[in-house]
Amino acid sequence: MRFEVRDGLFRYPGGERIVLDHISLSLEPGSVLAILGPNGAGKTTLLRCMLGFLKWDEGCSVVDGTPVGQMSPKKFWKRVSYVPQIRQAPAAYTVEEMILLGRAGEVGSFSSPKERDLAAADAAIKQTNLESIRHCSCARLSGGEYQMVLIARALASEPEMIVMDEPESNLDFRNQLLVLDLISQLSHEGMICVFNTHYPAHALRWAGKALMLSKDGGYRFGDSRRIVTEKSISECFGVSAIIGSLETGGGTYPDVIPVGIEDAGVPPVQGDDNVIAGISILLENTENAGLLNRVLHEYADCLIGRMGVPYRPADVHVIHPVPLPRDEFVFHPLRRADVSDLRRGIVLANGIRDRKSGIDVSGCSAACQ
Amino acid sequence: MLRAVLAGAGAGGAVPAQIRNVVWSMRMPRLILASLVGAGLSVSGCAFQGLFSNPLATPDTLGVASGASFGAVLALLLGCGLTGVQLSALLFGVAALLLTGISGKCLTGSKTTTILAGIMVGSLFSSLVSLVKFTADTESQLPAITCWLMGSFESAGYASLTIGAPAILIGCAVLLCLRWRMNLLPLSEDEAVSSGVNIRALRLIVEFCATLITASCVSMCGQVGWVGLIVPHICRLLVGSNQKVLLPVSVSVGAAFMMIVDTLARTASPKEIPISILTAVIGAPFFILLLRKNRGWAL
Repeated sequence: MRFEVRDGLFRYPGGERIVLDHISLSLEPGSVLAILGPNGAGKTTLLRCMLGFLKWDEGCSVVDGTPVGQMSPKKFWKRVSYVPQIRQAPAAYTVEEMILLGRAGEVGSFSSPKERDLAAADAAIKQTNLESIRHCSCARLSGGEYQMVLIARALASEPEMIVMDEPESNLDFRNQLLVLDLISQLSHEGMICVFNTHYPAHALRWAGKALMLSKDGGYRFGDSRRIVTEKSISECFGVSAIIGSLETGGGTYPDVIPVGIEDAGVPPVQGDDNVIAGISILLENTENAGLLNRVLHEYADCLIGRMGVPYRPADVHVIHPVPLPRDEFVFHPLRRADVSDLRRGIVLANGIRDRKSGIDVSGCSAACQ
Repeated sequence: MLRAVLAGAGAGGAVPAQIRNVVWSMRMPRLILASLVGAGLSVSGCAFQGLFSNPLATPDTLGVASGASFGAVLALLLGCGLTGVQLSALLFGVAALLLTGISGKCLTGSKTTTILAGIMVGSLFSSLVSLVKFTADTESQLPAITCWLMGSFESAGYASLTIGAPAILIGCAVLLCLRWRMNLLPLSEDEAVSSGVNIRALRLIVEFCATLITASCVSMCGQVGWVGLIVPHICRLLVGSNQKVLLPVSVSVGAAFMMIVDTLARTASPKEIPISILTAVIGAPFFILLLRKNRGWAL
């Protein structure tokens, strides 16, 4: 299924203020969209307009070329599921009963769930790992468990698109990861996942697409790496932030650190902070280049990447020129404090020799950016 | 007595006509009425609690019972017949629910607002009932009205049953058929809509049926308090909140409870005790005990 919003405009009834100004977006099967924006920018309103809970004043939501307004609600909700923000459980249904309610669209008015419905609910329970609490009352669950129950209820209707309102906002680290990993799992199965979030880092790591709203009704939509930038965060949230990534043995993880409120005089952060340190080694003769390459290969464990090509996932180690004995170049783990040294400027190394292998690669100059 | 019942059914030996008469034209309609009212009020209690997703919602707290009482009392004052009393009760019951719904904006407003509006509407109709009592003739009408208001199955007869019972039966039958789907009622608006079910139609049907049941009960035996609150909660403690099970259990427990209470009302003292007094005296302590044991209540 393909979901689009075409030129959607929404203003609150009676209010002059335009909340959502000519928004267009398009989602392919398997795409994950994170909606970001400051409080009151209309994140939830956008979700509600997309789903038809609120009517667009102009424009429309479109499913596979058909405007949602022209589809019967029953048909639409067969393909799309909605997970509301968690509040207190409405009634003390057991987890299983609650999840079965996701099948309500399939069950006849005067009927109760059939085997087919029980099987679908069962699959949703398995996928969300709720087997152990399936007979517990929803009123006694923790926030994380209840959130999973609501997601499972949405999955029970076997939708092609799932829309979640702040699914990870009130959860602890572990539950956040459970929810977000489930989202990527679902997207791999071809489901469109849309979620509101307060965490730009989650958009960077888990969502391919991002939509960032600002308070004046403006928005930006596109690949999350292009949308979630220090500039856009500063413009939409009024917060100066650093976007970086942490490299560990397990992979590279994007992170966004809010530094301060811009109105309070903290200047916006400049520069590309995805890179901890970049070193260009310029060699005058090709023979030495070959030697250096051999050294670099030998120490691939310690390196994050070379010429844009990643080496093996490494701990936070970089090649680091230590100019003490002027003719030696030593590899050693990078400490945090070293980063500032590296940034200071160009380091020239006339002779580079590795202590262990004894290879001499003199004639190189290393430049730190 | 058993023999009398059998004889009535055409399968027993000879029984004095007087006893047969007592069993079949006095006790039997009364038992039927009590069980119908008990079942009906319990089911409508379940429905109202789901509709307003509030554990305190009952026909009483939403003003429906007071409205129906006012309708019935008004008809009594005007000297209408049985049919008039019942129709008038139904009419004012629906009016009271609409009034509560409009003033509490039941579809969008918060749960507390709805209950507050219900209490307001209820007290409005209670004062109108007082007004009727004030204007009623103290010799003949007032005792009848007062006695009727406290609730009694004394007047039970097949005549009144044929008017009131079908409404209760139909209302209960519709709600029982819809019982699994009624689980959607306590969900928030967006959640309920996103189930793909026409939730507004469901709400209207359930509201109408529950009001119909309540008004019919009130019109036949006056305002019997507490049943619509206690029985659903007792049943929730017994079988959980799933309406699929809860509703049928409420029907049986409600009917049984009411028959027991009515038997007590008839036999505990030489003079018959008004039913409302007994339901409260038995119900309130029992309910408090259950709540203490269960540490709080919820839907």
